[in-house]
Amino acid sequence: MNEQSPASASPILDVQHLNVSYGAFQAVREVSFSVYGGEIFGLLGPNGAGKTSTLSAVEGLLKPDTGTITVAGYDTRQKPLHARANMGVQLQATSFQPELTIAEIIRLFASIYGVNLDDAAVKEKLAAIDLEAAAGKKIAELSGGQQQRVSLIISTIHNPQLVLLDEPTTGLDPQSRRQLWERMEHFRNNGHAVLLTTHSMEEAEAVCDRIAIIDHGRIIAIDTPEALIDKHRHDPEVLKAVRKGKVTLEDVFIGLTGTAVRS
Amino acid sequence: MLETSIPKNSAVLAALLRADFTILWRNRRSLRLVLLLPLIILFSWKGLVDKLGGVFVLSSCITIGLTSIGLMGYTNSIARDRDRGVFQRLRVGPVSAWTIMTSRLLVQVAMILLMTILIFIGGYFVDHIQLSPAGYVAGLLLAMLGGAVYLGMGQAIVGRIKNPDTVNSTTRLVYFVFIMIGMFGEFGMLGEILGKVVVWSPYGVVRRVLASSLAPATWTIENTYALLASAGYAAVFIVLGVKWFKWESK
Repeated sequence: MNEQSPASASPILDVQHLNVSYGAFQAVREVSFSVYGGEIFGLLGPNGAGKTSTLSAVEGLLKPDTGTITVAGYDTRQKPLHARANMGVQLQATSFQPELTIAEIIRLFASIYGVNLDDAAVKEKLAAIDLEAAAGKKIAELSGGQQQRVSLIISTIHNPQLVLLDEPTTGLDPQSRRQLWERMEHFRNNGHAVLLTTHSMEEAEAVCDRIAIIDHGRIIAIDTPEALIDKHRHDPEVLKAVRKGKVTLEDVFIGLTGTAVRS
Repeated sequence: MLETSIPKNSAVLAALLRADFTILWRNRRSLRLVLLLPLIILFSWKGLVDKLGGVFVLSSCITIGLTSIGLMGYTNSIARDRDRGVFQRLRVGPVSAWTIMTSRLLVQVAMILLMTILIFIGGYFVDHIQLSPAGYVAGLLLAMLGGAVYLGMGQAIVGRIKNPDTVNSTTRLVYFVFIMIGMFGEFGMLGEILGKVVVWSPYGVVRRVLASSLAPATWTIENTYALLASAGYAAVFIVLGVKWFKWESK
């Protein structure tokens, strides 16, 4: 497994021997990986594989059974607020207060992250995502793509070292998806570490520098998309999954995780 | 490692309070309903003040208002926002969990103060109920205790039940039972046994404590027992509510 990143020597996110269980069900088993500054790291897996549990443990939303997670050098158990101050999180759901306007939501989260924004700064932030006119609108009045742009601006309002994106392009049209990819690449190019979960192999191939495939709670492969394809192109299960003559990341994914539909 | 600065709890709390009060103001319709019901009862009971006594009327209206705020307002807003993921969105920031809940509770405390003061004003000008200054101050303070009973009960309900629609229907049912059985039980319309149960129920003890606080000179040992029972109910509901509460509805 390729644990090294060409971008930076010390990881911004370091997850070691993570175990998470819900009662008798163990969702995450001995998961270890690192994400470095200047890279986009994809966490891929079928439904119920343990992606969201891993991400929730990193975000501090659930308590792992065992294992360590450090963000920018801060242990998420010992220094949870310091760790969270160094990460920006975009959750799957549009989880902002529907009664507040976009400008009010931005100001609220800026204050929570210790960033002072006056009206002009809020307008500037919104202008950067072509939503200057939306300052007085409620979140439900925006399209899915606009909501995602607002969510991303809020997630990164404090210029965090680590950006966590949980299936950020689900439901977006191709234009909005491309725009979001460009923003992810912008973060990477500015030295941020980006951890992305996605079901889209196209997205993983297009933007991720490295990916980890997780299944039944375990990481079964970590490498660059190209290296993963090269490594597994002759696996019988991968060859069975090939549909258009050329081995793709999706074929490797299906080959490694199986064809059975997960609930 | 670069030094990371964490926002002060006071700054976070101020930001959350600003947002929560804005949300309360934007939800003016439900705010008006919560405040109007006890006022409507207060005004409609004007003719009964001589028969029932001013403190009984005021304490009943305040108790109904506290029930509305604790069970209908607070509980449903917590259930709804938890289901939307609002709490999870806040919790992924450098925010201590207690600041999120403290902000919510302070909004409710402000509501309780507003409701109680409106009832005092309505009682004075419309029903011509006058209390001593000590009665007004004690009434405000013990309205807070009564509020703790119902907010704790709401917290226990939203802790035990995750689905916001089920929380809504449960709080409506509990609200209806409390108001109807509480009021009719105290009037002696439901028999002697149920009447005694009502007297020592959360509704009965809160109303009794409020009534005696509005006329401090009439305080008896029975009222002290009711005060202790109210504090006990509040403690039990709050402990259960905190123990059962989960930040996400899944």
